[in-house]
Amino acid sequence: MINSFRSEWVPLLRPRFLFGTVAAVAAVAALGAMLTIFSAGSTDFDGDPVTVAMLAAPSGISEGLEAVTILLGVVALSVTAATLAGEYSRGTLRNQLVAQPHRLRLLAGKVLALAVFVVGVVLAAAVVAVALSFALAPVKGIPTDQWASLSGLAALGKSLVNVSLGSLGYAVVGALAAVVLRSPAAAIAVGLAYALPVEMLVSRIYSPAAGWLPMHLMEVFSVGGTGYATPYQQAGLRVGVFCAVAALLTALMFRRRDVTA
Amino acid sequence: MPAAPGVPAAPGVSGVSDTRVMPADAAVWTRGLTKEYGPRRVVDHLDLFVPAGALSGFVGPNGAGKSTTLRMLLGLVRPSAGEAFVLGEPVTSPEDYLDRTGAMIEGPTFHPGLSGRRNLEQLALLRGVGRGSGLGHRRRARRERIDEVLAQVGLAGRADDRFGTYSLGMKQRLGIAAALLPRPKLLILDEPTNGLDPAGIREIRTLLRDLAGTGMTIFVSSHLLSEVEQICDHLVMIRSGRMLFQGHVADLLAAEDPRILMVPERDDDAERLAAVLGSAGLRTEIEMADEARSLPTLVERHPVVVAHAPDGLAAGINRLAMRAGITLRSIRTHRPNLEETFLRATGDVDGDLTMRGGAT
Repeated sequence: MINSFRSEWVPLLRPRFLFGTVAAVAAVAALGAMLTIFSAGSTDFDGDPVTVAMLAAPSGISEGLEAVTILLGVVALSVTAATLAGEYSRGTLRNQLVAQPHRLRLLAGKVLALAVFVVGVVLAAAVVAVALSFALAPVKGIPTDQWASLSGLAALGKSLVNVSLGSLGYAVVGALAAVVLRSPAAAIAVGLAYALPVEMLVSRIYSPAAGWLPMHLMEVFSVGGTGYATPYQQAGLRVGVFCAVAALLTALMFRRRDVTA
Repeated sequence: MPAAPGVPAAPGVSGVSDTRVMPADAAVWTRGLTKEYGPRRVVDHLDLFVPAGALSGFVGPNGAGKSTTLRMLLGLVRPSAGEAFVLGEPVTSPEDYLDRTGAMIEGPTFHPGLSGRRNLEQLALLRGVGRGSGLGHRRRARRERIDEVLAQVGLAGRADDRFGTYSLGMKQRLGIAAALLPRPKLLILDEPTNGLDPAGIREIRTLLRDLAGTGMTIFVSSHLLSEVEQICDHLVMIRSGRMLFQGHVADLLAAEDPRILMVPERDDDAERLAAVLGSAGLRTEIEMADEARSLPTLVERHPVVVAHAPDGLAAGINRLAMRAGITLRSIRTHRPNLEETFLRATGDVDGDLTMRGGAT
C-alpha cells in the first residue's frame, strides 16, 4: 500500500494539475471570504441577517471557508472522479495492476493519497480564506482580535476538520462514481448531478428527506451543524454510514470487475 | 495431428493435449481456458503451452481472443472456466508471479502530461524497484534502473519530454521499457512493433533476440507475421478463441508444401518438361504466369511448370531438363511462408495482417 501511495503522488504532483487545482480552490476560497465579509450588515444566502458582531466572534475566522464548503466538495469529487476514472479510460490502470496486482492495496494507496491531497486542498483554501478575511475585515469595521485568540484558533481548527471530512465525503462519492462508470466525464457529471440538483429537488419536494440525503448531510457536517435541522452528531453518524457503504461498494467493484479498457 | 506442447499440428486442426500435468519447462500453461461475455465465447477451451526461455509468437486474426487471453494471464480478466498457470503459479494469484513478469497490453498507455521518465518512475515506485536498500540508495537504484531500460529501448534522449508529445514508435518503446523495469523472467508484449518504422522494428527485433538470449521467456503477439517468422522459435496460432497450432515455427513451415517453379525458354517445352518430371515421380502442374490478370498486359506471359518438391531437388531437376534438351529461362524455389500458412489455416484474409517484403 505504501508503494501505491507513493506512486500516486507522481501524477498528482504534475505541475499543471497541481497548480490548476490550487488556483481553483484559491479562487473559490477568496470568493467565500469576500462574500462573507461584504455581507456584514446585510443578509446571507438564506436571507438571515449577518451582523458585524456575528463575524467578530471567534467563529468568524472560518466563516469565509465554511461559506464555500459545497464548492470545495465539488472540487474534491471532481479531482477524485477524474483521477480514478482517468486510469480506466486512459488504460493506465492495467499497467498499474500488472505492477501491483493486489487490487485492494493499490486502491487503498490511491485513495489515501487522494485523501491527503483533498485535505491539502482544503488547507490551501483555508489559508487563502483566513488571510483574505483578515485583510478585508477592516474595510467593514469587523474587529479581528477574537479571531486571533485561542478560542478563535480552536474554532478554525474545528472548522478545518469538519470541512476536510465533508470534502472527503464528496471524494468518496467521486470514487464510487469513477469505479462504476470508468469515465472521468461521466463520473464527474453523474456525481455532481446527484450532489447538486437531484438532492436539492428531492429535499424541496419532500423536506423530511433532507435528513437522510448524503450530500446534504455532508454540508451540515462541514459547517458544524449550524443553521440546519439535523444535529451535527447525527449528521456525522449518517455521513459515516453512507461513506462506509460507498467505500465498501467501491472496493468490491474495484476488486471484482474485469479490466477490459 | 494433435497440437500438444512442442508438437506441431496441421493447420486448421484444433490441438488437444492428453496430459493434465503442467510440464516443468512451461512458462505459461493453460487447460480449457475459457472466457465468456454473456453468450459470446471469446476464448474457447484454450490449451496453451509457452516453453520457458523461448521467444514465442502469438498470432490470430482480429477478434481471435489474443488480448483477452493475455489479460487473463495477467490477472486483469477472470477466466470463466479452465485453469491457467504463469511461471508455475495460478492466475488466480497474480501477486505470486507478476513481480517476475513484464507486460505491455494493447499498446502503451501512460499519463500524457508526465514525461516518459516520470511515468516509469510511477511504475517503478509501484513495483518497489530498488526495495531493500536505504532510502537514498533506493532512489538511486530506481533511477539507475529507469536509465537502464530507457537506454535499452533507445529512448534516453527524449526521456524528459512529455509522453503526449511522443510519436507512436516512441510510445511503444516506453511501453517496452516499462515492461522491462522489474527485470522480468517472462515478458508479455502485445504488438510491440506497432507504429515503428523499419529501423525501429529492426531495433526491437534485435532487443527481443538479445533478451531471449539471456534466458528470458518472451511471449509476443503480432500482426507482422514476417516478424514472428523471423524472431520466434515457437508459435501459438488461434482463431475464434480456439487453438489452431502451437509448436515450433520451423515444424509448421516444414509441414507445408515446398515447390520448385520453372519457366522453360520455349513455351512449347512446358508440357514436355512436366512429363519428364512426372516420369521421375514428381507431382507437377502448369500455370500461366500473370494469369490472374484479367486485363490485357504488355508483360510477356509464359507457362510455369510447378513441381511439388523440396528445394534440395532443384539442381537435379535442372539436370533432368537439360538431359531432355529443355533450356530453362528461370528456376526458383518457393516455400510457403508464415503468412500464407496462416491465411490457409485461418481460412480468411485479415486486412491487418501484413507480410512485409511479400512472399517469394
